[in-house]
Amino acid sequence: MTAEIRNDVIVATEHIKAPPEVVFPYFTDPALIVTWIGDRAELDPQPGGVFSLDMGEVVARGAYLIVEPPYRVVFSWGIPGSDALPPAGSTVEVTLTPEGDDTMVVLTHRGLPSTHIGSHRAGWEHRLGRLRVAAG
Amino acid sequence: MAERKQPTHAAPDAVLRALADPHRRQILRLVQHTELPAGQIAASFTLTQQAVSQHIGVLKQAGLLTERREGTRRLYALRHESLEPVRELLSEFWPDALSRLKKAVETAHPRPPKRQP
Repeated sequence: MTAEIRNDVIVATEHIKAPPEVVFPYFTDPALIVTWIGDRAELDPQPGGVFSLDMGEVVARGAYLIVEPPYRVVFSWGIPGSDALPPAGSTVEVTLTPEGDDTMVVLTHRGLPSTHIGSHRAGWEHRLGRLRVAAG
Repeated sequence: MAERKQPTHAAPDAVLRALADPHRRQILRLVQHTELPAGQIAASFTLTQQAVSQHIGVLKQAGLLTERREGTRRLYALRHESLEPVRELLSEFWPDALSRLKKAVETAHPRPPKRQP
């Protein structure tokens, strides 16, 4: 498991003990996505289709840009309403790579407003270390 | 502006609002490592000087810029610590989410014991 942080980009990875075919719908099926992120979702997983996620007080809105089951999905991501991150302001790319019977999930969030993410590297490594322990 | 407000710790929301505009993000990149006068910041844009001044005002209000007077010039620089709440928010978000994804998938699809065909 690795984390890489460049300017305006966050990369997070996770190893999941299930094949990409099983993991992929968790990014496109409203009933499945809310098992890990948000509490209500409206998803139309085709290029240009809506990506909308209620997460408590925060609502994430965007659109699917690329949908290639079961290996890759790209959607735009932002928080409208309070004039925050504009919905098309950043993009999230998820790639699911088979590893034997398992899947390596690599999530890359690009176009973030932060201009100086580097100082958080230490925090990330600490957090991933914890995940590594949790994942056994 | 007569009053000089420089919030020491802006809420993530105010910072996000200020960062929502690409021109303002560009301004922050310009003054990320160096202090610049308003005129030199404006020179990097096709916007009017007035529009750039407005953007600088929003960034200042959100606590993202420091302002220093030097003679008649005003010099601006990024207040790195002001991005802290946003960075904190975003850097925790995805690793935490993916860790929940792992739990959700592996709970719903437990691995059957391995069998050789």
